[in-house]
Amino acid sequence: MIREHVSDFDPTLPIRAKHGDEQAFIRIVEFYYPRCLRFARNMLGGEQDAEEAVQDAFVRVHDSFPRFREDARFDPWLFRILANRCRTLMARNRRHRSLIEYGDIPLTASAEQEIGADWAEEVRVVLDSLPPEQREAFLLRHVEDLSYEDISAMTGAGLSALRMRVKRACDALRARLTEAIQNER
Amino acid sequence: MNDERDEVIDRAARVLSAMPPAKPGAVARVLMAVRANQARPLPFWRRMARGIDETSVSAKAASLLVAASLLVGFFARGTVDGSVAPFGGVSGAEVALQPVANGSAENRPVPVAMAFDLANAKSVSVVGDFNGWDPSATPMQRVGRDGPWSATVFARPGRHTYAYMVDGATLVTDPRAPRARSTDFGGDASVMMVRTP
Repeated sequence: MIREHVSDFDPTLPIRAKHGDEQAFIRIVEFYYPRCLRFARNMLGGEQDAEEAVQDAFVRVHDSFPRFREDARFDPWLFRILANRCRTLMARNRRHRSLIEYGDIPLTASAEQEIGADWAEEVRVVLDSLPPEQREAFLLRHVEDLSYEDISAMTGAGLSALRMRVKRACDALRARLTEAIQNER
Repeated sequence: MNDERDEVIDRAARVLSAMPPAKPGAVARVLMAVRANQARPLPFWRRMARGIDETSVSAKAASLLVAASLLVGFFARGTVDGSVAPFGGVSGAEVALQPVANGSAENRPVPVAMAFDLANAKSVSVVGDFNGWDPSATPMQRVGRDGPWSATVFARPGRHTYAYMVDGATLVTDPRAPRARSTDFGGDASVMMVRTP
């Protein structure tokens, strides 16, 4: 699904944008906005925060284009900037409301949540309960379809640490969602 | 590629892969934010970080701008009295500002009262083609403690595109105005028609 989306992208656009072609930049924004919004919403949960993160990220992308290496891949570079903006917003929000502590995953939900819970909503509930590092690694790997090498370059985390974060995220999702699937049947 | 994946993870990934619907004009707002950011003066350390070549070009451009400003100021001195149009909208005849390039009365900038209701904002400014999309050009003032934000802009008769910059970071279109493709960004912005006074 993601691959088909990426195949439509003209790979010369980032280089043209780097050299000041505003139309190329506009096409980049038009092409990547939905994907960036998806990642930001999955990371942050709220629509308004997600839109803010995406807007800030593109402003920084435009500012940073002179430093974009022409032999580098654009996706990891863009998502590194976007992931940084998401982390900044999460840190800001943490000052205003309490979040689930790192490493703590709720083991059981209330009966009201379990019975008749919508599958998509359940996925988001579990995703929101993950520590931010695990959520980010899972989304970049299994939703944005980036390689571990790309994610490592983006986040600065080692490959083994990233694999562990993704594994823990998958374990948590599997533990909570298997029950929801059984309830569906 | 398929590490850790099974039916459950595949289904979860499919849910999370759905593209969220973007609000109308979302891309345009991003492009306006980029443009507005470009219009902001660079901080001192970033100006210094730029190369000597670029600095020398900027210095030349700045010199030309100063010289042009002095010339405009000299010729316009007798026609500007500094009066400011009050909020609420006034006729163009009350505007003392005279266009230097075009002496036609029909083409004089007209004061336009702008109002925008956003209770939670800390600051709001009007940006549009009439002020170069500069967020610092037209800051809005709150009317009363919880009232709407207001400002007066000067725009020549005709069609203009604009938006509101909220808290210095987020561009918002006017919910009461129609939207159209902005020639500045290739995306949507709010539209207003300014009549000849």
